[in-house]
Amino acid sequence: MNVLKVSRLTITAFVLPCLLIYFGIVFVPIVVSLYSGLLDWNGIGTSTFVGLDNFKNLFFHDPIFWPSVKRTLMFSVFSMAEIPLALFVAILLRRYVRKPNFLVSSYFLPVILSVVIIGQLWKTIYNPASMGGMLNQILIAIGLESWSRSWLTEPAVAMYSLYFVALWQYLGYHTLIQFTGISNVPAEVYEAARIDGAEGFKADRYITFPMIIPIFKISIVLAFIGSLQAFDMVMVMTGGGPANATDVISTHMYNMSFKSMQYGYGSSIASFLVVVCLIATVVINYVFNKLEKRFT
Amino acid sequence: MNTSQVTTLRHVKTVPNRRRFSLTKGIVLLFLSVLVVTQVYPLLWLFLYSFKTNEEILSGNFFALPQSPQWSNYVSAFSGGDYLRYLWNSIFVTTVTMTCVIILSSLAAFAISRFRWRYGQVVLLLFLIGMMIPMQATLLPLMIIFKNMHILNTHLSIILPYIAFSMPIAIFILNGFMKSIPGEIEESAIMDGASILRVYWNIMLPISVPPIMTVCILTFINIWNEYILASIFISSNSLKTLPFGVNSFVGQYSVNYGAIGAFLVLGALPVIVVYFLLADKITQGMVAGAVKG
Repeated sequence: MNVLKVSRLTITAFVLPCLLIYFGIVFVPIVVSLYSGLLDWNGIGTSTFVGLDNFKNLFFHDPIFWPSVKRTLMFSVFSMAEIPLALFVAILLRRYVRKPNFLVSSYFLPVILSVVIIGQLWKTIYNPASMGGMLNQILIAIGLESWSRSWLTEPAVAMYSLYFVALWQYLGYHTLIQFTGISNVPAEVYEAARIDGAEGFKADRYITFPMIIPIFKISIVLAFIGSLQAFDMVMVMTGGGPANATDVISTHMYNMSFKSMQYGYGSSIASFLVVVCLIATVVINYVFNKLEKRFT
Repeated sequence: MNTSQVTTLRHVKTVPNRRRFSLTKGIVLLFLSVLVVTQVYPLLWLFLYSFKTNEEILSGNFFALPQSPQWSNYVSAFSGGDYLRYLWNSIFVTTVTMTCVIILSSLAAFAISRFRWRYGQVVLLLFLIGMMIPMQATLLPLMIIFKNMHILNTHLSIILPYIAFSMPIAIFILNGFMKSIPGEIEESAIMDGASILRVYWNIMLPISVPPIMTVCILTFINIWNEYILASIFISSNSLKTLPFGVNSFVGQYSVNYGAIGAFLVLGALPVIVVYFLLADKITQGMVAGAVKG
């Protein structure tokens, strides 16, 4: 309820500091970035306006670009595929554990750690056995020596090693979100369903699922945002290598702009990223509005 | 690993309806404990690793306890890696960011939710759009802008973006809360002659402590752990924040495995200590923060 009648000056004084920082740091750079995407510029010297040439090169002549888009999408897909597992864990926690706080807190522990700690920890775990890597040492110890490999430097497996770390880190977050969602379903609803003969997983199918669809949406958005944050993790663990085998959109952008000094080209990738994000937001919202209408 | 098993046993005793589902329940609890192991054991392993000699680490005995704890690893981490300086920088940057975010966004949220003016919802929408913009896309232009402002390689150059990117969610959470406060309180305060600033400071802020806590937690976790922005805008060793410092240390000491482990443990320590003290608050805050979608 907006009740206070105040002068324009007061409103300005309350809102302006916030808006100024926000525009200067978020909106201005995005606009600059959209414009620089149309330039041939190394960031220092003079720039030439080249229109959509950067985008043409990006879409049709860049051998790294589409694979990196694919990997970014795969990151989202894997993160979303984790949500049902998290929901399953949450249902089990709710049904079989009376004091789940310890378990939930343990699952959540990796979420609060910096991507640097997580990335370097897993780099150490993935190291060859001769360098003290735990994973390979375990494989050798249980007689699967043929499975041991250099997890982050073999192009064929490096990307999957990265997906796994992200899944490992965020399982606790998804579980906690689903668990909170389920805990908010009133116990009377389940009670009533039990009287009507719906128990166990049948109750989950007809009660839990429909009631936590909004929670699903949160998880999906989180998985999507998380897959963009894969940027930091890839930078810490492989930097996009070996031979671009683990490049995602944002690392490609980073390498183009900060390593190859192709400022204009890097900006066109950044513009692409912004557009993808906005489209994805609209799509996710649309799909969930439909879903919620159908189930409620 | 032992602790998780002990806890599981305790849970078995307290679970209701033990007679009917004992086998299922056993399997479920086993599964849930295995998950505890996979989520926590890597961190425990790192802790043991940080006390081992290079020979022990390379011997392939990943399960063993260190024969004698190698405090020298921690000594080299401390002396070689400027740990305290990085820690101080992180504390400084995070504190300044949190303070600014709370003051600025509570002012804006107050104006959006309580003032009678036409553009409140437009302003809110602008901030909501900001939540969808990936931070990476602004890195390049920001670097050019900061270079021209001559603030590259200062703490200001990371604090400003940290504030800007923390504000949308903060405003969203605070606005949601302030909207629900009944208007009579302020009306009577204004009637009694209180100024707007007084209403904000003496009424709004004290009432809004719970959502402010949520904002604090979210900002703390995000900013404390942030790496990529710091690594681009900061170059002096003396200005590095903890995650950046940890990463540089690991790069330099690539064969001193124990010291790397020690530095990673030291890097993780502050946030783990905070988590032990405030686990419930942090988990609640992070869920509240995720609900922004």
